[in-house]
Amino acid sequence: MVVFALLIINKAGGLIYNRTFAPGLQKLDSNDYLILAGTFHGIHAISRSINPAPPAQPPPGNRKPPTTGIESLESSHFRLTCYQTPTGVKFLLFTSPEQPNTELVIRRCYEIYGDFVMKNPFYSMEMPIRVEKFDRALGGYLVRPS
Amino acid sequence: MATAPLQVYSFYIFDRHTECIYSKRWTTPPPSNPSAQSQRPSLPNGTAATNIASKRATKDDNDAKLIFGTIFSLRRMVRQLGGQDDLFLSYRTGEYKLHYFETPTQLKFVLLTDTRVGSMRTVLHQIWATLYVEYVVKSPLAPLEHRKGEGVANELFEGGLESFMRSIFSIPQ
Repeated sequence: MVVFALLIINKAGGLIYNRTFAPGLQKLDSNDYLILAGTFHGIHAISRSINPAPPAQPPPGNRKPPTTGIESLESSHFRLTCYQTPTGVKFLLFTSPEQPNTELVIRRCYEIYGDFVMKNPFYSMEMPIRVEKFDRALGGYLVRPS
Repeated sequence: MATAPLQVYSFYIFDRHTECIYSKRWTTPPPSNPSAQSQRPSLPNGTAATNIASKRATKDDNDAKLIFGTIFSLRRMVRQLGGQDDLFLSYRTGEYKLHYFETPTQLKFVLLTDTRVGSMRTVLHQIWATLYVEYVVKSPLAPLEHRKGEGVANELFEGGLESFMRSIFSIPQ
């Protein structure tokens, strides 16, 4: 059970953070990662519009819950869990297919992002994340001593 | 605890030329809002009905294209990340789950279901092996290339698919 990589995509579809934690995925260059982030951003939007499920009736007085895009994707080699924050930032976590509780792991990554990136006064919004403390905290959480 | 029965929403087959050669939906369109209908300018009944029907047909058509685009890109993405022998299996959103199966001849089978459904890979494989191959490929009348779905939606295939799906999912009559 391993976490392969974490990608953070801003609300415009740009890749703002990209880090590999364990080998297992193919090596891509940074340009390919940018293309991948943009592609996923588009597919995420399309996956919301092809929703075939009949709309659920919201409880009286409540607004209809918004449709979510791709939340998890499975392939024979890895599993991708996506969490979109209410502000439109997407967290993409690549893990091995048998990794449990990926939703919790990704929420914790979001918390670390909130603590070390959003609370950093020198971080400019929507720009690539270069925050040393964030790197360290993520490493401490996701890199398991072998 | 009583759980709601598993539901299937739709099924698509795409050929290797990116064309949708078969599609089937089991969902009924949501009843249109009565207040919205009363606000509609009064049209002769026939015109309104055909308009709605043709709109639905174009929407189904567009959905098939969007689904193809999605699986095409995801398949490429998965290959790029996981290596050439990696296979895209399924994705799940908050509302539905899409299952994908590709044959060695690049025929693509797509099934959209409830989110609680487990892996449907064997089911899609069954549809291909026992229904598609038996009733479409082996049919002496079927053309080699199914342009615009020609020869796929025959009686035996439709009937077999319907009863197979009914044995797994709950489908409203």
